[in-house]
Amino acid sequence: MKKRSIQFATLIFALFGVLAVSIACGAPAAAPPAVQTVVVEKIQTSAPVVQTQVVEKIQTSAPVVQTVVVQATAVPAAAPQAFIFGAQGEPVCLDPAVITDGISGRVINQIYEGLVKFDKDTTNPVPALAKSWTTSEDGKVWTFKLQEGVKFHDGTDFNADAVVKNFDYWGNTKNPVHEKQTAAGQVFEYYGAQFGGFDGDSVIEKVEAVDPTTVKFTLKSPQGPFLNNLAMFVFVFASPTALEKYGTETCKNPVGTGPYKFVEWKPNEQVTLEANADYWDKANAAKMSRVIIRNIPNNSARLLALATGEIHALEGMEPRDVAAIKNDPRYKLLLRPANTTGYLAFNYKVKEFQDPKVRQAITQAINKQAIVDALYGGTGMVANQMEPPALWGYNPDIKDWAYDTEAAKKLLADAGFPNGLSEVTFDGKKVPLEMWYMPVSRPYYPNPKDIGTAIAADLAKAGINVSLQTVDWATYLDRRSNGQLPFYMLGWTGDNGDPDNFVCYFFCLGADDEALSREGFVDDKEVSDILKQAAVLTDQGERAKLYKQAEQLIHDRILRVFIANNQPPLALLANVEGYVPNPTGTEFFNTVVVKPSP
Amino acid sequence: MGRYLVKRSVTLLFVLLGVSLLVFGFVRLIPGDPAVVMLGERATPENVARVRTQLGLDKPIYEQYLIFIANALRGDLGTSVLRQEPVTQEVIRRFPATIELAFGAMIIATLLGVPLGILSAVKRNSWFDASSMVFALTGVSMPVFWLGLMLIFLFAVMLHWLPSGARLDANAQYEPITNFILLDSLLKGNLTLFAQGLRHLILPAIALATIPMAIIARMTRSSMLEVLNQDYIRTARAKGLRERKVILSHALRNALLPVITVVGLQVGILLSGAILTETVFSWPGIGRWLVDAIYARDYPIIQGVTLFIAIIFVVINLVVDVLYTVVDPRVRLE
Repeated sequence: MKKRSIQFATLIFALFGVLAVSIACGAPAAAPPAVQTVVVEKIQTSAPVVQTQVVEKIQTSAPVVQTVVVQATAVPAAAPQAFIFGAQGEPVCLDPAVITDGISGRVINQIYEGLVKFDKDTTNPVPALAKSWTTSEDGKVWTFKLQEGVKFHDGTDFNADAVVKNFDYWGNTKNPVHEKQTAAGQVFEYYGAQFGGFDGDSVIEKVEAVDPTTVKFTLKSPQGPFLNNLAMFVFVFASPTALEKYGTETCKNPVGTGPYKFVEWKPNEQVTLEANADYWDKANAAKMSRVIIRNIPNNSARLLALATGEIHALEGMEPRDVAAIKNDPRYKLLLRPANTTGYLAFNYKVKEFQDPKVRQAITQAINKQAIVDALYGGTGMVANQMEPPALWGYNPDIKDWAYDTEAAKKLLADAGFPNGLSEVTFDGKKVPLEMWYMPVSRPYYPNPKDIGTAIAADLAKAGINVSLQTVDWATYLDRRSNGQLPFYMLGWTGDNGDPDNFVCYFFCLGADDEALSREGFVDDKEVSDILKQAAVLTDQGERAKLYKQAEQLIHDRILRVFIANNQPPLALLANVEGYVPNPTGTEFFNTVVVKPSP
Repeated sequence: MGRYLVKRSVTLLFVLLGVSLLVFGFVRLIPGDPAVVMLGERATPENVARVRTQLGLDKPIYEQYLIFIANALRGDLGTSVLRQEPVTQEVIRRFPATIELAFGAMIIATLLGVPLGILSAVKRNSWFDASSMVFALTGVSMPVFWLGLMLIFLFAVMLHWLPSGARLDANAQYEPITNFILLDSLLKGNLTLFAQGLRHLILPAIALATIPMAIIARMTRSSMLEVLNQDYIRTARAKGLRERKVILSHALRNALLPVITVVGLQVGILLSGAILTETVFSWPGIGRWLVDAIYARDYPIIQGVTLFIAIIFVVINLVVDVLYTVVDPRVRLE
């Protein structure tokens, strides 16, 4: 009896196991690669972007807009009313002045507008609420002419006065609402970061309403990236009436001028927006009557929600899922043009890193192409400089150091390490050489542990033996900020599409030309001077020359090792059209249409 | 009973004081603070110092602790650093979601686990016994995370029978009263909403129930086996009672004591937030909220929620102790 019962139990267990394995093997989105036209849009980043999809035509001519609307009403029952986007987390706040995260930014992009915005899939600022603008000779005075007939969602008029009031709210610490927000613990991070500080520290000296449709900015000194800053997702205008009315409750009560209006925010679940029927730019009015942004924190669960059709688009995928989505005709894979760079930084307090031969050995030992091919799911590109290719300061003439393990070994020997390098002198003490990687996925390093392991393996072949280290993200950032990491992986995602934001942030020395702890005490005055100069010019052509020059020097001197740029992937259902990915992540949904599913 | 409750309440206070001290201290010992997390890659010593001042983190620790305790005694658990939301309010808002999930899971776990345990004990060493124990073992061994994703894939993606996550559909119209969806929908007589809430609850509850169910089944089985060997069971049978009455009225009642303890502990564990299940099913409970707060070093949330969970555990222990007296007349409260 006992033997039989055990046999029976084993049989049941085995059956269960077979069932489980068969389910696991039929895992998400693994339809056999169909021999059909695969709908994939890949955006070339080195050339002016040309979308080959019919999709793009919808934006440029008004008559086509009407065609789409007619199509939608012709099949009313099947046409979805809402565009549902699956986000990776919960927005922090819907007041643009006090946020820094892209999840809040996504909602804000639909509700609010600023003077300028990024054009389609580029980082070029084009008119939004400002029709046109002029700059004075010395670059210190900017005059903007505003669009007319624009109203906020609560009926307040948008005019020069509203612009002045918004800038006062952002930059004046004595502004009543600004004070209330700061007292409540809010931080106006981006205003301080992009404009140099508040009140007298800000590079913006004054903002005046010359007349209801003209605003004049007077700057203390010319700021090259000024227009790119204004295009950022945080410098968009809220209704002054709403600011006064809601005070510290602006996070939950957003009132802008955009094509979508705020309806409700169910915390931890979703934010619902509806089309603004009185939107001033009729040609670009919202195509879907509602937008819902749903919070689904887990990457696999979000992909499954796309598979069931509960959401129409998502951001944030495991690299291995990217290939599956690309080959599946039920979905579209869009790649955001690369605006992010992953690097490996030297801490110059390590004596051995001060020798350029050692740095060169390290950079030539790493097989970047193999890492990009194997660990980025097809979305990565090898990086040879700080800026990603989409930026206008990118230097296309830089030839990367060749991957050459033997050359690396020889360089190490020349530098005095014929038996390889495993111990270094960090801040005066002899310690084993540690290489640090972060424990969380970042846009520039989707799976840092794997990438770090691959780098370490490459270095070991050349005789450089590192011990891989990690610690939780907050601690990692803390230690890096204080210059305590000897050799570490990190990266950057651009804020405003301007090269200054990429290169000067890392290689400009401090105000007194001191080396910065957060950058591993990198100390190259020549590069820093070039970058500081470029920051105050306003002519893009001249600035571009200087950035290219700086990138060349950074490359030649191997101040840092650049590993890869990443193009973050977005997955959509095949019947979603009109989604335009932007390198900065500032993406507008007014052009998106969810066609009825076949 | 009254005196007993008063005594237990005093114990509760001491427990809370101890917990608050520990949490407060530990969380500040970890390197990194909310300012660093907020700033991310743009964290520089100057930026971090500036944000820390704005967030009030540069005050001496004992001052921060005293402010915290003084406020907590008035019911104010502080304000979230990242979102400036009052913690007490947020706990009250999010907790019903955790309760619904925990109770859904416990109902499944108990309704399946106890009968499974009883039958296994009664039909000891039969095929039923062996296979149900293997089934229980499998339940305990499967990672909840993986099981959740498999359930979603099978029932949502392949069969389209159930939704893949969240508490309600995207287009649901729901005005929360108590934020218990099942309760609110019944209060309003909205059966469609009730059905929708139930449909969304099924998969996460199943995923969450597998481990408690296995533990309860095994506990019931071994407890029953012990009881079934007792003399009074032989006496009951000798007296000619029907077997079912022997099992249920005589054996089970005595076997239940350890089972109640286990169920109580399991409820406590589930109520403190089923983090993995909540993440996979995008369920807006307190578990995931607490874990996110730990990564973000959002001290007020960590402190407030931990204190809250401590209260839950103490209350549950109290309920279990009182239940003992109901089930076993020999037990007296002291």
